[in-house]
Amino acid sequence: MKAAFGLTIADKLLVGLVIFLLLSLYGRYWSSATPGERFRVSSIVNGIQTMDFGADRIIAIEGPLGTTRLQIAGNRVRFISSPCHGKQCIHAGWLADAGDFAACLPNRISLTVLGLTKEYDSINF
Amino acid sequence: MSQLIYRAFWSCTLIGVLLLSACSRPEESRLHAAQLLAMGTLVEVSIWGTSDEHAAAVTAQIEQRLRRVEDDFHPTRPGGLKTVNVALAAGRAVAVNDEMADLILRAQHFEEASQGLFNPAIGKLIALWGFQDEEPAKGPPPSANEIQSISDQHPAMSRLQLKNGLLTSHSRAVQLDFGAFAKGYAIDQAVAILRRQGIHDAIVNAGGDLRVIGRHGDRSWRVGIRQPDGHGIIASLALGGDESIVTSGSYERYFDYQGRRYHHIIDPRTGYPAQGLVSVTVLAADAQTADAAATALFVAGKDDWPLIARRMAVDQVMLIDEQGKVYLTREMARRIRFEIKPEPVPVIIKP
Amino acid sequence: MIDCEQKPPAGKLVTPARDDLRIAWLAALAIAVHMVEAVVPSPLPGVKPGLANVITVAVLCLYGWRSAVWVAALRVLVGSLLIGTFLTPTFLLSVSGASASLLVLGLATRLPGQGLSPIGLCLLAALAHMFAQFFVAYLFFIPHPGLFALLPLLMTLASVFGIISGLLTTKLLAYQGALS
Repeated sequence: MKAAFGLTIADKLLVGLVIFLLLSLYGRYWSSATPGERFRVSSIVNGIQTMDFGADRIIAIEGPLGTTRLQIAGNRVRFISSPCHGKQCIHAGWLADAGDFAACLPNRISLTVLGLTKEYDSINF
Repeated sequence: MSQLIYRAFWSCTLIGVLLLSACSRPEESRLHAAQLLAMGTLVEVSIWGTSDEHAAAVTAQIEQRLRRVEDDFHPTRPGGLKTVNVALAAGRAVAVNDEMADLILRAQHFEEASQGLFNPAIGKLIALWGFQDEEPAKGPPPSANEIQSISDQHPAMSRLQLKNGLLTSHSRAVQLDFGAFAKGYAIDQAVAILRRQGIHDAIVNAGGDLRVIGRHGDRSWRVGIRQPDGHGIIASLALGGDESIVTSGSYERYFDYQGRRYHHIIDPRTGYPAQGLVSVTVLAADAQTADAAATALFVAGKDDWPLIARRMAVDQVMLIDEQGKVYLTREMARRIRFEIKPEPVPVIIKP
Repeated sequence: MIDCEQKPPAGKLVTPARDDLRIAWLAALAIAVHMVEAVVPSPLPGVKPGLANVITVAVLCLYGWRSAVWVAALRVLVGSLLIGTFLTPTFLLSVSGASASLLVLGLATRLPGQGLSPIGLCLLAALAHMFAQFFVAYLFFIPHPGLFALLPLLMTLASVFGIISGLLTTKLLAYQGALS
């Protein structure tokens, strides 16, 4: 009687499958940091900072040429002023989607928008 | 019954322990990401594993190496390639070092494989269009006569001869511009340094062109391919082992003049920007091949790219044309995942 | 011995009337459990232990898949009428969850060999139930990718409750076996 109540071979296989399923779910959806809309600014002066969108504001980032300003408004971020020559970073406009990227190479500042649940290790373009 | 409870309890515990260990692994602390400015672009080196000190030391070594590649192969800055170009224009033979000789031979190989569509000998045309300057090109486009006078001389890598480290040219019109694959070469050099330093898991991304080796811990590296308009990710791929992905796009460098757009990928047959496509993404083992092939397929255009892909032995390709239509090779379709809604309906082509 | 993949010969011996009566009784029991769960507050909104699955799986083991479908269908229908969620989003979630778990249970009873024990069946049913509800919720109510961050947690809870239901089912069946 006792044996009949025990786990069958199929049960054990199922438990194995379930463990695998759960692990892959955690790996897939929890492997990046906590969900939330964020962006990453890196500069050789200030280092790499990850920030939440959140309240509308303007932040200053230092680079070798001087101060670059970023504007954050309505879950978007953009360069609004930069001491560089080409102003290509400002022409890049608003960044809002995961993976969006703009940089001010002369002032050595880059800006990357990070996704909600999914992040990429690297972006090809 | 007691055995059942015992076993069930045991399996619950097992699940719990496994879940905990899955959740609590120190995720980001093992990733070292460093950015450096080289090759005229932002280079990101991501290393998985190893110590902070080792990662920093290796990154510094890579930075040094890339700076040298940039100096040696910049077409207009004083130094390696400029010296060669000056001599070629004057019709003189010039001695080149082993690295330069190696790169010239590779470029000749790619030129032959691509039936001349990958052609780093058209430095004169690229300079004429203004795409060699550090400043963004502004136009106006060069006149038809100016373009004609250069392309009539058919500058090509095949007109160069290399003997005992001495380079001679059969045409004074040949000016080398390795822009279409120097970045790929630099990435491969960086990966070689990583390997020599015992690093097996890393990504080197130079201005969007990248090569991955190994894995990100217990999973593959995840790479997103940006939309040609720069907003968001069109598709993603899991890369691992040793793979490179390079995209050539008309959006990378361009200028608008009187309502027309002129981009930096010059068709060596016409002397004008190549028509029909917006971007070509090539996945290959090394970054030089991917880089050269992406340029050649872009120039080949919508109709001829499968033939060139076959000749250059690349089988993982994605193309986007000016209407936004996506073309995939079967090998690429098998692994790529679209990240936009509605998903594009790709045309699958066997090269 | 509880042998879940073979239907007992009950159907041939009992009259249809007794069959109906039994299904009705079992459904009533399931509805009672369903309603108690609906009333008891849950720490995570929308997440219930799914103890009504105990009845479904017990019926499956004792009287076969058709009876289990009947009991589950009656539970979802009558339960929603009594609680007042008939044809609301909650009802759609219940229907999708119950259908998915019945579907996998039907497939699981066809497994060769010993097949799954009540624990395995309950675990499978709970996971199918949760998975189906999640996707219906995602497709019809909250089509936001952020929802997927909850999926691992929800599936873990489903596994734990599935195993608990399985233990309860085993106990119930042993008790029933001792009676007959």
